[in-house]
Amino acid sequence: MHRIWPFLTLFVLILGLSLGTDSFLRPDNLTSVIRQTAVINIIALGMTVIMVAGGIDLSVGSMMAFSGLLGCLVMENGGGAGAGIAAGVAAGLVLGTLNGLGVARLRINPFIVTLGAMGIYRGLALIASNGMPVQNLPAGFSFLGEGRLLGAPFVLWVLVACALAVHVLLERTRMGRYAFAIGSNPEAAYYSGVPVAFHTTAVYAVGGLMVGLAGMIESSRLMTGQPTAGQGYELQAIAAVVIGGGSLRGGEGSVVGTLTGAFIMGLLANGSDLLGISPYLQQAIIGAVIVAAVFVDELRKRSQRPGRSAP
Amino acid sequence: MVLELDRMQKRFGGVVALRRGDLRVAAGEVHLLLGENGAGKSTLMKIVAGMIEPDAGAMRWKSSPARFRSPAEAQRAGVAMVHQESLLAPHLTVAENLWLGREMTARGGFLRRGTMREAAQRLIEEHRFPLQAGWRVERLSPAQRQMVEICRAIAHDASLLIFDEPTSSLPDSETREVFRIVRGLKERGVAVVYITHRMEELRVLGNRATVLRDGETVFTGPMAEVTNDDLVRLMVGREIAAESRPARAPGSVRLRVENLSRGGVLRDICFEARAGEIVGIAGLVGAGRTELCRALFGVDAVDAGHVEVDGEVVRLRSPREAVRAGIALAPEDRQKCGLATSRPVGDNLLLASLEGVCRWGFVDRKRAAAPVHTLIQRMRLKAESPAQIAGQLSGGNQQKAVIGKWVARGAKVYLFDEPTRGIDIGAKEEVFGLMDELAREGAAVVMVSSEMAELVRMADRILVMRQGRIAAELPRGAAQEEILRFAALENA
Repeated sequence: MHRIWPFLTLFVLILGLSLGTDSFLRPDNLTSVIRQTAVINIIALGMTVIMVAGGIDLSVGSMMAFSGLLGCLVMENGGGAGAGIAAGVAAGLVLGTLNGLGVARLRINPFIVTLGAMGIYRGLALIASNGMPVQNLPAGFSFLGEGRLLGAPFVLWVLVACALAVHVLLERTRMGRYAFAIGSNPEAAYYSGVPVAFHTTAVYAVGGLMVGLAGMIESSRLMTGQPTAGQGYELQAIAAVVIGGGSLRGGEGSVVGTLTGAFIMGLLANGSDLLGISPYLQQAIIGAVIVAAVFVDELRKRSQRPGRSAP
Repeated sequence: MVLELDRMQKRFGGVVALRRGDLRVAAGEVHLLLGENGAGKSTLMKIVAGMIEPDAGAMRWKSSPARFRSPAEAQRAGVAMVHQESLLAPHLTVAENLWLGREMTARGGFLRRGTMREAAQRLIEEHRFPLQAGWRVERLSPAQRQMVEICRAIAHDASLLIFDEPTSSLPDSETREVFRIVRGLKERGVAVVYITHRMEELRVLGNRATVLRDGETVFTGPMAEVTNDDLVRLMVGREIAAESRPARAPGSVRLRVENLSRGGVLRDICFEARAGEIVGIAGLVGAGRTELCRALFGVDAVDAGHVEVDGEVVRLRSPREAVRAGIALAPEDRQKCGLATSRPVGDNLLLASLEGVCRWGFVDRKRAAAPVHTLIQRMRLKAESPAQIAGQLSGGNQQKAVIGKWVARGAKVYLFDEPTRGIDIGAKEEVFGLMDELAREGAAVVMVSSEMAELVRMADRILVMRQGRIAAELPRGAAQEEILRFAALENA
């Protein structure tokens, strides 16, 4: 097994928190961990697809706020919960596609395109809502974020479904193969006749779809559409992918790894709360874990690669 | 003697790059280092420049034993190398590049920018370089960049300057300028080693020459003692023993190229390749061979001309269109353009033909597994399993994976750009076997190679390119000397 550290870390965290606290294994605590991490998890799944193909999306936090808000506006103006969710997801898909077009067709560096998009989507969200939260949502809408199904939080089932879908996409479909190939070596993919521009756009569209869904879950949990939601989520999502073995250079990443990464961060936060560690220190701990995880993974890769190179 | 090299040896994995490299260079001479591509010239010089550790052999620097363990050590000793590819920092100015790594500083570590710039400007004027100290390197032409490298060597007080084919990509006027500066260095007592392919350059510049062949020094002596024909013979050597491909009657025309031109790089290229035929393309570095492959594969747009596959005009605006038209390319740079090196071999083999094993966009793993196994066997690809990472394979097996990728899809025209570069002899034979097999199955094969012996052995006809044109078409069995003559000489 070549990438054992993330799983080991997660296992040690779970074991440590189970033994070290009375409250960790209590159902209400586990439920709240799942509810808190589901949104980041789903965004990180989309980010995995994008980063596998060698891209990155810094706008996911803003995009989540904007698409969630649009879904809420539909509901506020008389749409049902189903219509609102569909609208939010569709909005995410469109916004993600726009990012993809910017990267693939305008050929602008993805970091720059999505940095710009981050500002644009946030601004549009604030304009659309006049800076105020959208309220008066149908009561049934809260089921998405707060409901239970078969003894577990409903969002857990949503997360499982998303994880399965993204896993199948990456490992079993042509699009997944192309995404890995493009991320591994875009020149080789291009020279093999792979439609690189189309598939580059497509991975951002998939990422956007996930973000739209995450936006609706976040709105459902708060029962408001917040134009300021999701700030800093992009970094958490990227960190989850990277801790799970994804690479900023593309060509690497997996659903299992990303979920592990996201749960490591979620449990660090939850554990710190349970152990009474100050939230200020929590941030520093999580930051250190990100650097350590990437360093360990880099050591592993270096041992496989002969020769020296400039840092 | 400034530099004495005795019996230098170097192997890379299974490939012997240097068998027995001997070289002696005196102060104040321009020493020409000649040989075919792959003869070991660059390897020998990289040892001197501290970029490669030799496996065996003795080196004496200014009459005392020496061994340079890093480029920095060699530079401190007084060795400077001007590479084919510029190794400058493009965003810095000429002056900043000249002093890079040995900046003049005032107390406290502050840069003395004015002083450095003035010193650079003085140096430039003294040697009449067509440069200004304040110019940014990214705006300079390739020739000017080489001048910056030369200037840098002078600034570092180098006592040995190595030029690795400095003029292969330069127009004539700029070549003359490089020559003028090289002669100036000679007069100042600097030792110069000059690697070149171009026969025209030899006499104008050099006092003495050393010829390398298959990693061995086969001649060293004054230029006055040898004719150009002698040198060519020395470089090429005896015929290699391997048998040529048997002649077979070619079939119908599969590829027709008419009047293909691309801004000064390709000029009015016309040729055809028939089913069952291997058409060889010879030429020196910079003659436009790789550019021809890139144009035929839709990577570079052309200004004029058209291409037909099986009698139909095809549009080639991207590799995707070329692939759909039935053209395949095994590129010169496998690592960069051929393989997704961090992905499994199996994925790479199917990269060009994934449509065939997919249903509704899902990879049908049963249907995908069968061709991968067949291909690995047919290509005699030595991989632990289809899951092995492509980048871990040897050069020869990587090349087989690239070829396998196209065989999986099936093409009408196969372009091979330097198919044997960086692969060992056993794998070479297997690659040749595969090329012959593709031709026999009815494909047209175009083979670009710098290894003339290999072209003579494999090709049914050889097109010789020079400066973007097809300078000659030679029949089967043409002599290597003849190919080199057309490739190198202006008025052959």
